[in-house]
Amino acid sequence: MAEVDRRVLYWGIFLVLVVPYLQPLGLPITVQETTKTLYDKIETMGPKNIALFSIAGGVSAWAEIQPSMVAVMRHLVRREVKVVIWGFFTDQDLTVDMVVVSVPELTTKYKYGEDWVYMGYLAGGETAVAQLASDVHAVFKADKYGTPIEKLSLMQRVKSAKDIDLVLTIDTGSYIGYYIRHWNVGKGTPVAEIGIAMQTEWLPYYPANLMAILIGVRGGAEYEKLIGRLGDGTVRMDAISVSHLVVIIVIILANLGYVMTRREKK
Amino acid sequence: MWTSMLLTLATYSYVLYKDTAAFRFAEHSFMATTFAVAVVVAYQTLVSNAFLPIAKGDFSYIIPIVLGLLLYTLPFKRVRWVSRYPLAIIVGVGTGIAIRGAVHAQMVGQVLAAITLPKTPTPMDWFNFFFSLIAFLTSTSYFVFTKEHKGLFKIPTQIGRYMLMLALGSYFGNTILFRMAMLSGRVEELLKVFGIIPWR
Repeated sequence: MAEVDRRVLYWGIFLVLVVPYLQPLGLPITVQETTKTLYDKIETMGPKNIALFSIAGGVSAWAEIQPSMVAVMRHLVRREVKVVIWGFFTDQDLTVDMVVVSVPELTTKYKYGEDWVYMGYLAGGETAVAQLASDVHAVFKADKYGTPIEKLSLMQRVKSAKDIDLVLTIDTGSYIGYYIRHWNVGKGTPVAEIGIAMQTEWLPYYPANLMAILIGVRGGAEYEKLIGRLGDGTVRMDAISVSHLVVIIVIILANLGYVMTRREKK
Repeated sequence: MWTSMLLTLATYSYVLYKDTAAFRFAEHSFMATTFAVAVVVAYQTLVSNAFLPIAKGDFSYIIPIVLGLLLYTLPFKRVRWVSRYPLAIIVGVGTGIAIRGAVHAQMVGQVLAAITLPKTPTPMDWFNFFFSLIAFLTSTSYFVFTKEHKGLFKIPTQIGRYMLMLALGSYFGNTILFRMAMLSGRVEELLKVFGIIPWR
């Protein structure tokens, strides 16, 4: 087994991933409490509330975070919640464009400047997040497109973390920690995360500091089920479930092979 | 779309076939594009956050620009000592800001969560509570190095070591899941670009 070329394994996984896209399996998706909490929270929000979309993940993570982002944005738009977007990744413009294309109501139903704004990229990591919690206008002088912040009516309502009713951090790293420390602990703002699979390390903060967490493609598939509009997350879950099964089988076989090799040597 | 698909296939040629010129081209293109975008965005950020305010009369922004420029003395041996000052400011400010919420959220909050009894006491909740409490205490005891791990201390520290291995293994497993999700995204786009499955 040790002599099997690893390329056989890679090709096997590649081909196994293709099958569920050609023939969907329709595996059931159960909704976790960590996802339902976010849905319930947004269901209580309306036109007077403001949600923050903080982009702390790059295009490379779209496969995991795109279904959740689109599903949550669709829900926010359905509830007519105002949305402020800013981020900390240099390629975030592509992510915002993707969300706008996937949720056309942002341009057809919503009015830019009144119902949603995109403030652009901000460098600085935790210091930037901390400063934004205290004074947004001290950090952002204009939006992404150069419009002075004084001319954006939505931003006249957003001066600090206390004016935001829900923070949604699209995260592939540690920005959720920054928002927990400075926005939730410091100002009491509810914080939720849309993250990749590795973001389960932040589960210990649920529910005391982190009100909800959508983990990976599964989080997106669960949210799509909750809002009643299935999309990429649901389609992708079949392929991911099959790939996980293959990885488990390969790990078992590899360990069996190792044990058998050791016995032969003895 | 076709450009991204061809670059994807070129990148995967490394694992599916061998180290090819196509893989090298894709790799270098990715690195170059990433750096180029970062440089452009960094320049735009400097202009909007520093140069424009200075041009409007707020000269306090000269200080961070000078500190940033001093960092560039790092590669030069003779003047490298100058870069220690801006670095000290960065580390000091960062640490001070990070510690503000860390004590409550990452220490006190976590300890309280570990010792708080479950609110809806189903058998599974009790099992989770005791398992996490034991894991918390034993893995913490593993890092007590002032006392030798012998006698009464031997079993808790051994259990702690296994708990740490469980946690690290779980984290590694999540990393694999993340890579599988990335691959599935690429496979899905491949099938869409070749018209095998429809775009949604």
